[in-house]
Amino acid sequence: MKRPSALAVFTGLVLLFLFAPIIVVVLNAFNSNHTLDSWDGFTGRWFSQAFSDSAVRSALWVSVRVALVSTALSLIIAIPASLWARRASRRARALLDGTTYMRIVLPEIVAAAGLFLLFRRINFGLGIATIIAGHVVFTSAYATIIIQARVATLSISLEEAAADLGAVPWRAFRRVTLPMLRPAVIVAGLLVFTFSMDDVVSSAFLSGNTVTLPVLIFGLMRFHVTPEVNAIAAGVTVLTLVTFSLSAALLGLRTGASIVVGARPEEASS
Amino acid sequence: MASGALARGGVSRSGGWAARRRLAKGSLVLPAFGWTAVFFVIPLILLIAYSFGHIDIITFTVQWGWTTRSYSQVFQSLYLSAIGRSLLLSSGATLACLLAGFPVAYYISLQRGRRQLVLLVAIIVPFWTSFLVRTYAMTNLLNAHWLGSGKLLDTPFAVGLGIFYTYLPLMVLPLYVALERIDPALRESAADLGAGGFSRLRRVIIPLAMPGIVAGCILVGVPSTGEYVIPSILGGGKVLMYGNVVADQFQSTGNYPFGAALAVSLMAALTVVVLAVRRASARREALA
Repeated sequence: MKRPSALAVFTGLVLLFLFAPIIVVVLNAFNSNHTLDSWDGFTGRWFSQAFSDSAVRSALWVSVRVALVSTALSLIIAIPASLWARRASRRARALLDGTTYMRIVLPEIVAAAGLFLLFRRINFGLGIATIIAGHVVFTSAYATIIIQARVATLSISLEEAAADLGAVPWRAFRRVTLPMLRPAVIVAGLLVFTFSMDDVVSSAFLSGNTVTLPVLIFGLMRFHVTPEVNAIAAGVTVLTLVTFSLSAALLGLRTGASIVVGARPEEASS
Repeated sequence: MASGALARGGVSRSGGWAARRRLAKGSLVLPAFGWTAVFFVIPLILLIAYSFGHIDIITFTVQWGWTTRSYSQVFQSLYLSAIGRSLLLSSGATLACLLAGFPVAYYISLQRGRRQLVLLVAIIVPFWTSFLVRTYAMTNLLNAHWLGSGKLLDTPFAVGLGIFYTYLPLMVLPLYVALERIDPALRESAADLGAGGFSRLRRVIIPLAMPGIVAGCILVGVPSTGEYVIPSILGGGKVLMYGNVVADQFQSTGNYPFGAALAVSLMAALTVVVLAVRRASARREALA
């Protein structure tokens, strides 16, 4: 069996390619050479410079608020819809799956441009509320796919047993269904929070004068590679890794990974 | 696909209780359909409506009507070249993702236990890491001395590389799922019947992995065609893609009908492609 070893080498190279650039960004955030041409020693200066910038701090705060609300709304939309899908007619289910799939696959710029026109048309001021409206369009789709994949693996007999024992639907949901869904809800919530914190396209179209962190960094990145930008980028990377580690810590790496891998948008509409 | 089979086991109860229950069940999907209708479907309809209007040159306001003026503007050379470039870059990057992603996904699917888990996590972590930071990471890479100190920046190559790099995990995950499902016995029996490595791959593994290949290509190819962030950062405003042209109409030029026509054309073209691909792959599966 010679083949697997060639495959292993290739896989290793691809993983190196995936990780090395991110590691370089993080290292360059500590590089005291401000032109980043070479490594001139270690400094924390860029971090203190970047995070003492009030524009960065206020943009971060906007992003956190947007992401928290978007996450909550996404779960409120996704959990009941996933439960509904089990008993829905074939047609109704296809409608849910098809629109969910479209919200993920359609280039974001198309949906964002349409929403921009809608808010313009009804004279609704652009700001945090409109950014959230735009984010939830796609974050709720991701949440639905993740939670629905989990729901599909559960048997409804437990809930029926709860109902037969006299539990009202809400109680059956809270005591039986929700605990079974907990892992998927945690993964969906953390992933969707991360995606919202990272979004540029919808935020840029729908923000008006409000600036989210990604829109701010995007503006900086278009023009320069500077150590300050690297410091902010490193900060964002750490933040996303925190949400990932949190899901791993709460659920174990194996369950968390299997939920991400098990959510398959490509099967949603078949 | 198979998951639908579980769903139909509802116990029917009698009379008004059942009707009330059904109503309560139906209301569960209201938030999803409501949000999608108001913030997704209506905006898309509005885009279509705008795309048939035109802009009054003197008052600079949108005039409604049924003119296809904006659509004929799409075919001007300036925009056509951006559209052509988008299609080339995204299809090239999709192919590159498939060629690089397939061996990786195949290798992971052959592993077991802890090793497989570590490899999967190694694919999920980049997927989870900020898209914006990963795009920016490519500028750091292309600024390195051994890659020409930034000479490759602001070129179509840089943009294509950026798409390849950021979308690669989206290709590997569905490929892995499809490959993981292949019964090892099929591989072994193909080998027992004398099929060599290459013919096993071509006649057994690739056909069985087809749903994953189709899914990965759609997940990478369709969104990347409308890419806006990657060409802005790695193309330095010199390599425009479809997303940049659309964004320009809304954010600087202010020609909403033309921007809408561009967006609707993109949506229509991608919908046709996705439906055709899905239909073709469904037929393949039905034949198999």
